[in-house]
Parts: sequence; C-alpha cells; structure tokens
Amino acid sequence: MPIKQVLSATDGGSVALSDPRRSVRHKPFFMKRLFLVAVVLPTSIAGLYFGIFASDVYISDSHFVVRSPARQADSPLGVILSAGGFAGASEESSAVLEYVRSRDALAQTDSDGLLTRAFSATSVSWFDRFGTLLRGSTREHLFDFYLGKVSIENDSALQVTRLAVKAYTATDAQEINRRLLVQAEKLVNRLAERARDDAITVAASEVRDAQAVARSAALALSRFRGREGILDPAQEADVRLQMVSKLQDQLVAARTQLQQLQTFTPQATQIPFLRTRIKSLEREIAEQTGSIAGGQTSLSLTAVKYQQLRLENDLAEKRLAAALGSLEEARAEARRKRAYVERISEPSLPDYPREPRRMRGVVATLLLGLLVWGVLSALVAGVKEHRD
Amino acid sequence: MARATPIVRDASLRLSWQVQLRVLGALLMRETLTRYGRHNIGFLWLFVEPMIFTLGVTALWTLSKSVHGSDLPIVAFALTGYSSVLLWRNMPGRCIGALKGNLALMYHRNVKVLDIYLARVILEFAGATMSFSALGTLFISLGILEPPQDFLKVVAGWLLLAWFGAALAIFLGALSHRSELVDKIWHPAAYLLFPLSGSAFLVAALPQGAQEIVLYIPTVHGIELVREGWFGDRARAIYDLGYFIPFTLVLSALAMLQVRRIARFVVPE
Repeated sequence: MPIKQVLSATDGGSVALSDPRRSVRHKPFFMKRLFLVAVVLPTSIAGLYFGIFASDVYISDSHFVVRSPARQADSPLGVILSAGGFAGASEESSAVLEYVRSRDALAQTDSDGLLTRAFSATSVSWFDRFGTLLRGSTREHLFDFYLGKVSIENDSALQVTRLAVKAYTATDAQEINRRLLVQAEKLVNRLAERARDDAITVAASEVRDAQAVARSAALALSRFRGREGILDPAQEADVRLQMVSKLQDQLVAARTQLQQLQTFTPQATQIPFLRTRIKSLEREIAEQTGSIAGGQTSLSLTAVKYQQLRLENDLAEKRLAAALGSLEEARAEARRKRAYVERISEPSLPDYPREPRRMRGVVATLLLGLLVWGVLSALVAGVKEHRD
Repeated sequence: MARATPIVRDASLRLSWQVQLRVLGALLMRETLTRYGRHNIGFLWLFVEPMIFTLGVTALWTLSKSVHGSDLPIVAFALTGYSSVLLWRNMPGRCIGALKGNLALMYHRNVKVLDIYLARVILEFAGATMSFSALGTLFISLGILEPPQDFLKVVAGWLLLAWFGAALAIFLGALSHRSELVDKIWHPAAYLLFPLSGSAFLVAALPQGAQEIVLYIPTVHGIELVREGWFGDRARAIYDLGYFIPFTLVLSALAMLQVRRIARFVVPE
C-alpha cells in the first residue's frame, strides 16, 4: 500500500484511546506520521549521508610538551585547585593552544593555499567540501571550517599537548599538522627569546651606562692629577706636614742653641748665623703651612676637589660592578627560564580514515530520533486525553 | 461509524489541545491564587520573590568580591548565574509532591497528572523569566550592566535551561509520588549542585582537569551559553550542546515514562 494511503487511512488516536476495540484496526506505531517524521526520516537521511555522501576523514596526530619554567598560580581559585592536584597550563602552552585556534595560524598554514586546496578539492563530497553553498567561501567561513578540523588539547595531568588535524587525504592531514607544529615551535621560541631578551637588554643597557659614567669619572680624576701635578693631596699634605714638623724640630733646636749661646757666651760669632737660620726656618714653616691649608692654591682646597672626583669615581666603579652582576644574573635567569617545544611524537600519517564513524552516526541518529519520538508521542497522547 | 479522515484526526488533536489549554489556564490561575493569594502585592510575588533572591545574592557577591576567575563585572555575573539557578532549581522544588496536594483535582476528567506538573513548571518559568528580564532591564537602565551582545543566544540558553529544569521537575515530581525519598534527597542535592552548576564560575577560568569534570554537569552548558550570549567575546564560554540536548532529551523521555506510569495508579482523594 502506498504511504499516502496509509497515512490517510490512519485513524484518529483519540478514537483508539477511547475505544480499545477499535485499535485493532490501527496502523502499527511505525507507520504513523509522527514516527516517520521523528525517526524514519532522520535515520534515512543519516543513512544516506553516512552510507554514500560522507567523505573519508583522515586524522593526523602529534604530541608535544611545552617545556617552561614553573609558574606560580595567580588566582586564589587557581591556588586552591592546584593544591587539589589540578595544575594549570603554563603561559607558553596556553599561548600555543590559543595560537593554533587563531586566524594567524590559518593564514600562515594557508600561505601557499594548501588548506584551501585540501578542504575544497572536488574529490571531497559536496556536503563536506569547503566553498559550496552549504559552507560559504569567504575567509571567515574558511576559518570556521578550519576550527572544525583542528583540535588541540592539553592534558594538564601529563602536561602533554595533543594536536589532531582532520583532512580528506592522509598526506594533507600530516602536512597541515606538521606546519602547525613548526609554527607553534616558532611561537614558543619567539616568546622565550622575547622574555630572555627583555631582561638581558635592560641589564646590558644598565652596564653600558655604568661603564660610560665610570670612564668619564676616571678620566676626570686623571685629568685633575695631571693639571695639579699631584697624585693624592692627602699624602702630599702628609709629606709636607712631616717636613714642617722636621723644620719645627730644627727651629726649636736652633732657638735653644741661640738662647744658650746668648746666656753663656754672648760674644759668640755663631749668634747672627743662628738668627738668620731661625728666620729662614720660620719663613719656610709659614710657607709650607700656607701651602697645606689656607690660600688659593693650598692643598686643603685641592683636596676638596680631589675628594669629590674620587668619590664620583668610587661610586661609578661600584655601580659598574653591580650592573655587571645583574647582567650575569639576568643571563643565568634566562638560561633557567628557557621555554621550548619538545616533540614527543611526530605528526602521524594515517592509513585508515578514522572518521566519519558511519555506523555510529546512523545509530546515534536512530537513538536520538527514537527519544524525540518517545517524548513527542507521549506528549501528543497526553494532549489527546483531554476531551470535552 | 464513518472512517476517520486525517482532517477529523487533526481537528480532534486541536480540540484536545484547546481543552488542555483551558485546563492549564485554570490550573495556573488556581496555583497563583492558592500560592500568593490576593493579599498585598498578590501574584506579583511570582517574580518579586526570585528578584529579591537574585538581588540579595548579587549584593552578597558584590560585597565579598566573590572569586569567579574573570574580570567580568560581578553584577552581570551574579545576575546571569543566579537567575539561571532559580530557573532550574525551583521547578523541581515545586513539582516534588505537587500531585499529593492536588489529588482532589483528579476528580475532574480533564485534569491529568501532566497538567498539574506543567502548570507549576510554567508558573516557575514565568516567574524566573520575569525576574531575570526585570532585573536585567533595571540594571541596564541604571548603567550597571551592559546589554547582552547576542540576545538570541541568551534566549536559546535560557530556554534550554528551562527545558532541562522542566524535564527534571516532572521526572522528580513523578518519582516523588512513588517514593518520599526523592523529596528528602532533592533538598541537599539542590544545595550541593548550586556551586557546581556553573553559576558561580566560568568554565574557562578553571584548570583543564576541573573543566572536564564540571562539564559533565548539564546545567553548566546552559549557563555558559547564556553567558556567551550576554558577554560575547569577553568571556570564553565552553559548552557542548551535543551533550546538553541529548541529556535533556533522555531526561524528558524518562519524565514522560514516569508520568504515564503513575497516571495509571493515581487515585483521587
């Protein structure tokens, strides 16, 4: 009997429910319209699609670890959860996850049109192909399509990241996976280099500054020495003070001798000689004392300038030493903070299309259809129980 | 008797539907009146009650600067989160034991078990939706809240949550008629589910390991969808309707089975 006739011949449910005897004449449930619409139709469509139209999908896998320095959990929630054994992903590995799902990754992988070719090849069925009426053909559509084909997951317990790429041929899948992996490596290297360079650049420029200051301070000091003809005013003053004290010793001795001579032998010929000697000693002492302290060219004045220059020189030297130390530290830190991608398994070359799982798709549609039908028929029966 | 034609059959379904609508309308009126009465603001309590709840929680979360793992404004976060909780949590609360209180009504030929549950579910849905939209409008007009980025997504998420809540409510309601244990277990379960339901956190803010576990809880998907609609790209929403919808479908089927099962045994008082 044609379906149309079957449908038109179907009795009203209300009649059947009110009168059980009449249900004998009823069509079995699998011929009713609701069942056809909710179960038979979707399952047949799924059967057609999965049985005939769906193109084989090859999945290429690769696994890698993003090695990075240990990071402190920053949010209180993160602290609680990481204490509970849920470790968060590191910055670098999150960056890789985000990158693979970005338009940049698409643009770089598709720089020579590989993706567009692989996704819109005519060998792919019309339903799965990119660039048909179903899928659109703009870049944004391509991006959406691409997101459906690439999956990247980070197993936080093992810290291993899995990158899976679906394509309609095995070699395409492998090639796309390989390119994405290479770009992810580049990204991590770039990030690590950037972090390293930032720290070292700052430390190095600090060293450069300190060097310049130290150099000019040293230069100023040596220029001062050359101009004044003095190595160290303090030592110079010491020497002169010693000389003054010697002169004073001699002066005291000469004065004592003069007094003795004047007392005991006033006619001695040595007296005028001694007097001249005392005078010249006194003059010499006054001159020396003057050159040490007081006066425009005295050593004490020079010492002030010298001390200033000396201090500047010392400071510059210390600063240079500190800057060199922190540069060394920055280098060590950078060595410690190295982040890189370690490949665990290279992109695989699948020899069997793992998707679509055809039977599974059909069975899932059937089950879902049965569920929908069950709920709907119960609802309809519920409605039909109401009668005036 | 003449053979029934498709036209007659459709007409009978439509007639039955009209009768059911009348029954549902009457039950709704009765529910509102018996629950809220005509005192003070009367039926306005329907949505004023959830509004007060939401406002209180919003205020608490704002004051305690609750940890939710994102830079979203806390008011928007609390509004979307707590309103969603009210939506799916109050429905089962109302439906558990609903039949027992309404057994007298079963004398009427056209009042069916499902109608009693449906009336309560619709009432709760109306209350939660009015409260959500009223508070949303209020906050938006006060400038505390940005309007939703994608209104349709918010509606879709909201309706899916309502569907889930209704299925859960009817299932538990029907079960509770067979076993009192349901009532005893639901209260602690509802409290325990609240922090896990996705209302108090964003899935994306959790570590991967926790995300996987949390995503087994169906309401999380609905709330994430509402949030994605409201905040757009500012909150990275993680949800899977391929899990949420079949889950709810199975729950609905179970609920319908239970209802038909108890409908056979129910005895009017």
